[in-house]
Amino acid sequence: MIGDNLVIDAGTGARATWRELAQRSAGPRKSPTAYAVERSIEALPAVAGLADGGELLVISSGRLDESLAEELRAAGFDVAVGDDLRAATSPRPADDGRVWLLTSGSTGRPKRVGHTLETLSTVTGELAPRTWLCPYSPGTYAWWQVVTLGLGVPGQDLVLVDPADLDDWVSPALEHGVTAVSGTPTFWRRTLMRHGADLQKLQLKQITLGGEPVDQAVLSQLSEAFPDARVSWIYASSEVGASIVVHDGRAGFPVDWLDRDVPGRPRLAVVDGELVITSPHHGTDASGAELAGAVRTGDAARIEDGRVLVTGRLDRDELNVGGSKVSAGAVRDLLQSHPEVAWAAVRGRKAPLVGTMVVADVVAGPGTDVSADDLTRWAAERLPEYAVPRRIKMLAEIPAKETLKSDV
Amino acid sequence: METLDRPAIRKLMGEVLAVQGKTLPADDAAKLADIGFRSLDFSELALRVEDEIGDELNFEAAGLRSIETIGDVLDLLVEIQGQ
Repeated sequence: MIGDNLVIDAGTGARATWRELAQRSAGPRKSPTAYAVERSIEALPAVAGLADGGELLVISSGRLDESLAEELRAAGFDVAVGDDLRAATSPRPADDGRVWLLTSGSTGRPKRVGHTLETLSTVTGELAPRTWLCPYSPGTYAWWQVVTLGLGVPGQDLVLVDPADLDDWVSPALEHGVTAVSGTPTFWRRTLMRHGADLQKLQLKQITLGGEPVDQAVLSQLSEAFPDARVSWIYASSEVGASIVVHDGRAGFPVDWLDRDVPGRPRLAVVDGELVITSPHHGTDASGAELAGAVRTGDAARIEDGRVLVTGRLDRDELNVGGSKVSAGAVRDLLQSHPEVAWAAVRGRKAPLVGTMVVADVVAGPGTDVSADDLTRWAAERLPEYAVPRRIKMLAEIPAKETLKSDV
Repeated sequence: METLDRPAIRKLMGEVLAVQGKTLPADDAAKLADIGFRSLDFSELALRVEDEIGDELNFEAAGLRSIETIGDVLDLLVEIQGQ
């Protein structure tokens, strides 16, 4: 661990070295522990303490629904939400050094992928000193990528901004001398629109995009706004690691990277319109067995003008609202739990600044007169702000074709 | 294609805030940060405008700019309709 690297919490301005964070850790817990946190900084003492042992999973509290909590407890995890600790229902000893990430499976339910700090650290060699902005949701693969940079590579300081505070990231970035920023294309679109004038003051040397499809428009706008910065995009996931890294400022990757065997490098393929990766950076499955072979990523890919463009999820359950992950199924379940709602369908709708917004179609129960605004207010009391359906269309009856679907 | 004028967009902006129990100030120079009008609210307003005009707004046409006041929001949404 690089104990002297700094971590700065943009929300409070508090700063600490990793060594100090490790001292705040209560020491390794004997049981695997899932930490559900509102803010990135809350998870870092446990992360810093991993050097002494323990097994952990970090998740944004907005993503932890009741069934997932029960699933984790049954898999041996104590679930910590703030000061509330719910013991595992099937206790087992911690596997020291094991780090679990959650991803969306092909059915749309999150599944666990096992890593260690070593397998999460994909940066090798020396890096120029940088101060990185980390705007990601706690516990995601991208979050771990930035966190392990700070934890393991000399001269890499972090400034943590939580997804809920992203409207105001430029001011703390200027204040704390951020020189490198990793963010989703949505994050960058929002930034370019909202902070156009202030951006020129940032002295960025490295801009990285990932986590969503990266289009040419956003790459070109960034190159124009930050002529001194290298603009890179990365395709990475908890299952296949950082498999594609592109520095030429263009969307997609060259088609001749497909079906190429290079020792130590991922093998990339497109099968039936889906990106398939055979990676040396695999994690393990939930049982701890090494993942091997080709992974169907669930991401759509198409070839255009000599480039392979990765265009989006084949499975639409997981919505990305300005960097925060929302399960459409979980929101639908909540709406359908309202006593005056008969049916609901939830989906993402393209929107400026946040990329996608949660919207819903709802059918009210017989003899009731609940309105769209009533439901929005009701949902706002029960969901994180980004998960609240802002546009709800009240339908007179359940669409016939929808009754044939088993899921959103 | 139908377009919305500035007062019509202002009315929709008021509706976005009203659901949250907030009131839109009369002064176009009021800062968004001061009235609690955030990215999600802006996005919702854009969807309301799209639903009214029956067309998708093209934000790529807006270029680099800062959006800090009520007037900035209204200017932008008036400008990009039909582009």
